Amino acid sequence: MLALEGIDVRYGGLQALRGVSLHVAAGEFIAVIGPNGAGKTTLFKAISGVVPLTAGSITFEGQEIGALRAAARPHRGIAHVPEGRQVFGDLTVEENLLLGTEALAGRGTAARNVERAFDLFPILAERRKQQAGALSGGQQQMLAIGRGLASSPRLLMLDEPSMGLAPTIVDDIFEAVHRLNRQEGLTVLIVEQRAIEAIEICDRGYVLSTGAVTLQGTRAELLADTTLREAYLGA
Amino acid sequence: MNWSEHGEQILQVLSAGLLLGCLYGLMCAGLGLIFGIMRVINFAQGEFMMLAMYAGLNGVALLSPGRAWAFPVAMGVAVIVALLFYGMGAATHYLLISRVSGARALGSLDGGHTGQLILTLGLSLVLQNGGLMLFGSSPTSISNAAADTSWMLDMTDDITLFLNQARLWSAVMATAAVGLTLLLMARTGVGRRLRAVASNPVAALYMGVDVERSFRTAFGIGLALTAVAGVCVATFYPFQPYTGFDFVIIMYAGVVLGGMGSVGGAFLGGLLIGLVQQLSTLVLPPQLQNTAVFVVFLLVLLARPQGLLGRSVERA
Amino acid sequence: MVFLQPQLRNLVVLAVLMATCITAILTLSPYPLLVLSLVGIWAMLGLSWNILGGYGGLVSFGHAAFFGGGAFTVAILFHDYGVSPWIGCVLGAVVGGLLAVVIGAVTFRLKGHYFSLAMLAYPLALIPVFTWAGWSEVALPLQRTNPIAYMQFSDARIMPAITMVALLGCLFVCLFIERTRLGMQLYAIRQNELAAQCAGIATMRVKLVASLISGAMAGLAGALYAVVVLVVTPGSVFGMLVSSQALIVSMFGGLGTAWGPLIGALILVPMAEILNAGLGARLPGVQGVVFGLAIMAVILVRPQGLFWAVRDHVASRRPALPVMPSVALQAAPAAPAKPPGDVLLTVEGISVRFGGLHALSDVSLEVRRGEILGIIGPNGAGKTTLFNVLNGIVGTTSGAARLGDARLTGLSPQEVSALGVARTFQTVRAFPRLSLVENVLVGAFGAHRSDRAALEAAWVTVRRVGLQDRALVPASLLTSRELRLMELARALAGNPTLILMDESFAGLSTADVDGMIAQIRQLAAEGVTVAIIEHTMGAMVRLADRFVVLDGGRNLASGLPDQVVRDPRVISAYLGKRWVEHAGT
Repeated sequence: MLALEGIDVRYGGLQALRGVSLHVAAGEFIAVIGPNGAGKTTLFKAISGVVPLTAGSITFEGQEIGALRAAARPHRGIAHVPEGRQVFGDLTVEENLLLGTEALAGRGTAARNVERAFDLFPILAERRKQQAGALSGGQQQMLAIGRGLASSPRLLMLDEPSMGLAPTIVDDIFEAVHRLNRQEGLTVLIVEQRAIEAIEICDRGYVLSTGAVTLQGTRAELLADTTLREAYLGA
Repeated sequence: MNWSEHGEQILQVLSAGLLLGCLYGLMCAGLGLIFGIMRVINFAQGEFMMLAMYAGLNGVALLSPGRAWAFPVAMGVAVIVALLFYGMGAATHYLLISRVSGARALGSLDGGHTGQLILTLGLSLVLQNGGLMLFGSSPTSISNAAADTSWMLDMTDDITLFLNQARLWSAVMATAAVGLTLLLMARTGVGRRLRAVASNPVAALYMGVDVERSFRTAFGIGLALTAVAGVCVATFYPFQPYTGFDFVIIMYAGVVLGGMGSVGGAFLGGLLIGLVQQLSTLVLPPQLQNTAVFVVFLLVLLARPQGLLGRSVERA
Repeated sequence: MVFLQPQLRNLVVLAVLMATCITAILTLSPYPLLVLSLVGIWAMLGLSWNILGGYGGLVSFGHAAFFGGGAFTVAILFHDYGVSPWIGCVLGAVVGGLLAVVIGAVTFRLKGHYFSLAMLAYPLALIPVFTWAGWSEVALPLQRTNPIAYMQFSDARIMPAITMVALLGCLFVCLFIERTRLGMQLYAIRQNELAAQCAGIATMRVKLVASLISGAMAGLAGALYAVVVLVVTPGSVFGMLVSSQALIVSMFGGLGTAWGPLIGALILVPMAEILNAGLGARLPGVQGVVFGLAIMAVILVRPQGLFWAVRDHVASRRPALPVMPSVALQAAPAAPAKPPGDVLLTVEGISVRFGGLHALSDVSLEVRRGEILGIIGPNGAGKTTLFNVLNGIVGTTSGAARLGDARLTGLSPQEVSALGVARTFQTVRAFPRLSLVENVLVGAFGAHRSDRAALEAAWVTVRRVGLQDRALVPASLLTSRELRLMELARALAGNPTLILMDESFAGLSTADVDGMIAQIRQLAAEGVTVAIIEHTMGAMVRLADRFVVLDGGRNLASGLPDQVVRDPRVISAYLGKRWVEHAGT
């Protein structure tokens, strides 16, 4: 579904990504892990079009999208749940979800998707008229995911959903996303710093370190690999 | 002066302040909307208003059958002018403003604020003096019967309030315009998109919202609102090409006072400024009524930059 | 290289200008002479604006306040009290300077567009006040007896000459500022005020000194304006057009250089006057249109202004000189483990709360003299907040830090810097047009009183980090590694006892990383203590003597690098709790 070939991204005079290649097949759950500063968020920004490519190509569902402007990519079916939640603090929970439906492009109906988000995360339904800025970190993360799902995406990208959240909430969220992948065949690409939660639920994973892919493999392969610790802790 | 004369004077000044304040509020709402959504301070807002005044003048001259009808026709012309200025705003944004704000400005040292301030400063100079060339310097206004008539409101036996018709209806029009805008922002998809862009433009981009187009829309609406204010004011206040300058501090004071992030806040800020300005005539000589406005403006900036209703000064 | 260098080129240009002025004054007829006077006056106002706006990045929309202050001083003193404009002009400059200091003291707390808008208000507020006070029009009365004593000359060449002399004086002052400490400090403030404070620069004092000079210059310009036009009205000297012209002339001609306002005035003023004279009757206001279009064009096309646009263009045409890359330092052999020195920095139980967020909770650590301490931890652990506390940028909710015997918490960034603590920042912001050594200079001002000593210290530091071959290269041409070393040199220039380094390795290539590691080890060997935050763990493991690990704002572990990276608690923090169970390391 998604293929990145030899992606180079350079900005601010620094090489953020070097020759990164990545494949996501339909229905897969792919994890991209790596230490801080490895370029994981830059990778997502490149896929979303917020950051331009210096070299390489991105193909989505067979179409080259490297030159497609950022505002158009969600309409193709790529939903990006950004790092740090980035909810619309001044809008209500419901309005946030409605904003998520902007990129539906005929793949579903807005009202139904909003209700589905409430079914998935019931706590949001209780707060549907509340301002998103007043929600807790975990609730905001659920809202951000619901907002991403609201566009009936083909590919859901999650950027460090666990950041700043308590472990139990992280487990709940990961479980919900995992279920979506298993039961509805939603293709998921997740970027995480906390390796274990991501690896445990993924099908395959890539390890990114200082802008390049240093390791890749299936879930089992990654769990067994001792060099993963070195990628994070340097020794 | 005895009690009832005092009271009458105070009430008269209060009502003048409220009526004028509604119009200032509309002017501020336009500026505040643009800033709230785009973080752009349009220095030329007053000049666009001046152009709208002349547009109103010409529109009424073209369409009105006579003085008696001039005011209602002017209100109709205000709507047409609003639409016209929406288009003008969108075009101005597309051609000029977008080049120094939004995505293009993010790299520069101060987030592009200086660039757009200076660009709109230049624009204001061009419009002001261009207006001088086109329209001449003699003050003019939309001649209409309503501006000559006042309603008399007998509050008590001794106190009579005079409410100028043109000012009163203009205030109503202004409040309606702001109310309509607030409704648009709160209830429609367009409004929701604009509020989202104001709240978090990066996230809006991730949602597939065309942020540049939203900016264009916001700029257009902002100009349209101020254009309506212009046509309304033109019915009872003499204007000339440098008129924008008369209102510039009032507009900024109102927007800053109300909190630079919101339309409703800007309207209230403008309303308060109108009251401050008129009430100051009770204690200050009339030439210094704007000085009171300046003082309030500076006090707000120095003591509470986020205004009465605004969020914190630096947006996350 | 500009700092403290007698600029022969400038002197030549000034000499040429003087010669041209003299020729012009001797040959032109009265009307062009009047225009020449105006060119001089607007150029002076532009120079005055440039001091705050160009060098310091403080964009003022209200310089008319000082201009008008000067103009009215001359006019009122002459008209109401018979004081000669010769004295009036001097007093006008004084008034302008004082006004600027007062306004600045009150308004500098505002940032960005709030500052610009506030400045806008001051002169506009004065217009109705002056009108109401009875000064709606003040004319300089004609003196029949002894006119020269009152600056009234029958010869039309004298006023332009006086104006040119004043202009030359102002030019001298600006060129002097550019070459000395005040200019450098203003650049530093413009670039990153916080970093400037952390480097020990007393930013408020610098801004007020700059205001004094700027206001005095503007006041003088206004005073001369009054003498030239003979009638002063509030609108003509306090109005928006005056403030705009100050800004436009500078930004059009070239922002941040003394030549800019000169070029701007030389081009725009005669153009506007000619158009006004020729078309003014049919097209009133053509002057404003010209200025407006000029500034719009500049902002859209070449925001830096004409001077820089031309200079960059000329520079790009010249064949590029071969740029010699500096030799990368060899990776130093592993230094023998040093016995730890005495404790230099103690952090005890520091907590920081931002609203509801606990950024740091009861964090304690020690740094020993001469060691390299690595502070690590997953994202959001509070590492940068800790540095911000040590630097005086952020206050603590509880807890304290001490450097030796001195209390470190609760101080301003300048006071912290004075104690010998330096800081590097993640994003290196350099002055692109200045040389490397001049960039480093900014860090030396806090510790060295005299300009010469500061420059010496900068050179010494540049040599210390091995960049002496690149010292005169403009910062825009430096490589990433060199920029990082430059940032380090800036911190070193003040001879600190402790350097706080924040993420200096991000994005560097392996070879560059090796070089940086060698450099920092060298410094530690020379006795500088380093605390470093870094995510590039591969580098940290080789560099640091000891690690302190923070997680979620709390202490997690500390010890030798090899031990810490194998500590199960640390591994859980980075990779997740269940990783340890799975991997069974």
